[in-house]
Amino acid sequence: MSNRPAFSRYADVVLLAILLAVVPAIAADSSYYLRIATLAVVYMGWTIAFNLIFGHTKQLFLCLGALAGSASYVTTVLIQQLQLSPWITVPIGVTAAAGLGALFSYVSVLRGLGVIFLGIVTLAFSLIFQNLVLGLRQFTNGETGLVTRGLGFALLDRPVAAYYLFVVMLALALLVYCVVMGSRMGFAFRALSDDELTAELSGIDVAACKIIAAALGSAIIGLFGTLYGFYDGIISPSLFSFVSVDIPVLISLLLGGMRTRLGPIIGAAVFAVIEEFVRPFGQLNVLVYGVLLIVLFVAFREGLVVMLKKALGFSIP
Amino acid sequence: MTATLFDGIVQGLQLSLLAVGITLIYGLGGVLNLAHGQLAVLGGVAAKLLLDWGAHPVLAGIGGIIAAGLFGLLVDRSLLLAAYRYRGEERLLLGLILTLGLSFVIDGYLNYSFSEFSLTLSLPIPSVQIAGIPMRTAGLTTSVIAVVVFLALFALLRWTLLGKTIRSIIESEVGAELCGIDPARTRTIIVGLAAMMAGLAGIAQGLFSSLGTEMGPEFTILGLLVAVVGGVRSINGTLVAGVLLGIVNAFASRYIGAYVAFIILLSVAMATILLRPSGLLARFT
Amino acid sequence: MRRSSKRIWGRGRDVIVQVEGVHVSYGPALVLREVNLEASAGEAVAVIGPNGAGKTTLLKTMIGMIRPTRGRISYDGQVCNGLRAFETARLGMIYVPAEKELFPGMTVLENLELGAYRKGRDTSERLSYVFDLFPRLEERRKQLAGTLSGGEQQMVAIGRALMGCPKVLLLDEPSTGLAPKMVAVLYQQLAKLKTAGLTLIVTEQQVPLALRLTDRAYVLEQGAIRLSGKSADILGNPEIKAAYLGVT
Repeated sequence: MSNRPAFSRYADVVLLAILLAVVPAIAADSSYYLRIATLAVVYMGWTIAFNLIFGHTKQLFLCLGALAGSASYVTTVLIQQLQLSPWITVPIGVTAAAGLGALFSYVSVLRGLGVIFLGIVTLAFSLIFQNLVLGLRQFTNGETGLVTRGLGFALLDRPVAAYYLFVVMLALALLVYCVVMGSRMGFAFRALSDDELTAELSGIDVAACKIIAAALGSAIIGLFGTLYGFYDGIISPSLFSFVSVDIPVLISLLLGGMRTRLGPIIGAAVFAVIEEFVRPFGQLNVLVYGVLLIVLFVAFREGLVVMLKKALGFSIP
Repeated sequence: MTATLFDGIVQGLQLSLLAVGITLIYGLGGVLNLAHGQLAVLGGVAAKLLLDWGAHPVLAGIGGIIAAGLFGLLVDRSLLLAAYRYRGEERLLLGLILTLGLSFVIDGYLNYSFSEFSLTLSLPIPSVQIAGIPMRTAGLTTSVIAVVVFLALFALLRWTLLGKTIRSIIESEVGAELCGIDPARTRTIIVGLAAMMAGLAGIAQGLFSSLGTEMGPEFTILGLLVAVVGGVRSINGTLVAGVLLGIVNAFASRYIGAYVAFIILLSVAMATILLRPSGLLARFT
Repeated sequence: MRRSSKRIWGRGRDVIVQVEGVHVSYGPALVLREVNLEASAGEAVAVIGPNGAGKTTLLKTMIGMIRPTRGRISYDGQVCNGLRAFETARLGMIYVPAEKELFPGMTVLENLELGAYRKGRDTSERLSYVFDLFPRLEERRKQLAGTLSGGEQQMVAIGRALMGCPKVLLLDEPSTGLAPKMVAVLYQQLAKLKTAGLTLIVTEQQVPLALRLTDRAYVLEQGAIRLSGKSADILGNPEIKAAYLGVT
């Protein structure tokens, strides 16, 4: 741990907090831009989670959308069918997501699955989720989706309040990340991402690290997923599809920088901007995703944070 | 019921064509090609373009297959070079992401430029009777072609020097190098072959149903599932797995529902990975 | 002498393999330091040392599986630093790794035939030479290589290398995992190869075997050559005896 005073160690976070806080003022009357900012914050949260799961513990989860969607659908359906309060169902949804994530991690550790096979298993789950939602029409209303307006927290129905709620959630996620990375577990993560075998031989419980990272990450994904579901007023399977969630998150993480503190946030922000530019081209946005993936993975793997560090000489951890 | 069985076999063979390509590229290149379905679509698109320019259907089909093969070669010699610089899991991960990105590039471009596209071929005789069972000639033709291709592949692998070279690289890339074999050259040949088989599968889709530009991901997923169940290193396994899964899918779709059928396929694949990663059928082949 | 063995015996320069000032790093760790080694045509050279000394790394660097960060490797008069493993194999410097890297799903015969890949057509003469050397392989020629015992697999590995008409054979710990009787038989056959004029470079942890087979030896410890000279001298060296032979 460095000896700089706490303020300078977290100066970048404070700066970020200020930036995020003034967004509604800048967005002024444009509900369109406020909405984009809000969505960007949701994706920032998801990307922080993916950073824990994939960036630090190398678990290729290709089911982020399915995890978020599972939490959201579980929450919503419980409210609809059993008339429970969101205060009860949201934790249930989050737990469901965390449980699923931990399960995948546990099984993969147990069976010694490599990155690829875990990726295929989670991809399969992603598709199972889509088809389950589409198939269980009685509960989920299939492709048309479920209306969530009025079901969730009232706060989420007001744009500015919703934005700040998500920022607070983001701060929470970042806090969890910082606490974990600052602890002994964080040290274990760093050793793990360097060389798994060596870490294991040094006495680090690699399996526990992976499962905990997966559970925490999945919980964060579930939390943002449920709140996001309420925010839009309607949930549908396409909202949580592989192309809608997993790909942007993957690109954002690569863009910002894996295993960095603010990388996920910066990456998601930049990605939101890119998306805006590509929006008028319709179907071509997928092409841009593809090009980004290729370019990032081949030429640009360290991400913006590291690049800025080198270019500007200061540190964004 | 026999109609469903027939459909299942026809579809299954088509899936096997796709899956075998994925298996070969994985075995020889150590890369899981997530853009494989897009290669199938490209074959179909090329064939349609040739048809529109007035080519005879059979020539258009062959042209489509060759176009898909050439594109595969191009990808191997350019994009994938970045992945081949590494070995083992790093190469696997990099190849996965690169081909994923490629699949999006192809999808995005095709869906944008050919949004109204549909390849539908038809044969002069829609259906024949064999042993008292009516069968669609489209299905028959594609099945026969698929079987011929597989037989040729088996013959190649078993008896020719190229085939033995391919098998040796799959079994031990290092060992093959130590024998003086250049894995990169053999791999390029195989990627071309795999791409051609994918192109054939795409054109086949246009023959017994219709091919749309958005079908790429579906082909990739199905091919991947079959490859996984058959064993990503076993070529015989993918043939058997493809036919079996095709039959299962046909019956499940007909009697239970398309969504559930797909979930069954996915679950079988997941179960294979978790219980017997070398492939459910690898032991028998 | 049989014609095939005459082909095996290189007619190149006297010094057929030369390693000069080679450094190899894995990231920040220096695995080989200032390694100098040479072998003349027809010589048998041993490289001995403890586990992790870098013996395998040295051999892999020589054929091009690993890139040296510094230094030069020459084979048969030409520098071969930039060459890939399959290229050096084609030129005649063939490596038999400790893991053997056979093709388990293919028969013994197919494994051997693939070894002759670079030489194409007529393999029958070399095949009979290999079967003469390892008669058990002839018995098992249709058997899948993966089902053979450790010793038989080692024979296939060496036989496969021989099929490629090597001028230099690099053997990485050939005695590993073999029963003592098997090891004795193996080394008898290696001695025959040496008599036929093949250049051998052998790494071993079983020090006496290697030193008795070879003319000269290098002692590699922690990535650097500690000692080199005639094998007989090294065998008699009291330090070596203490360190590797447990004799005090």
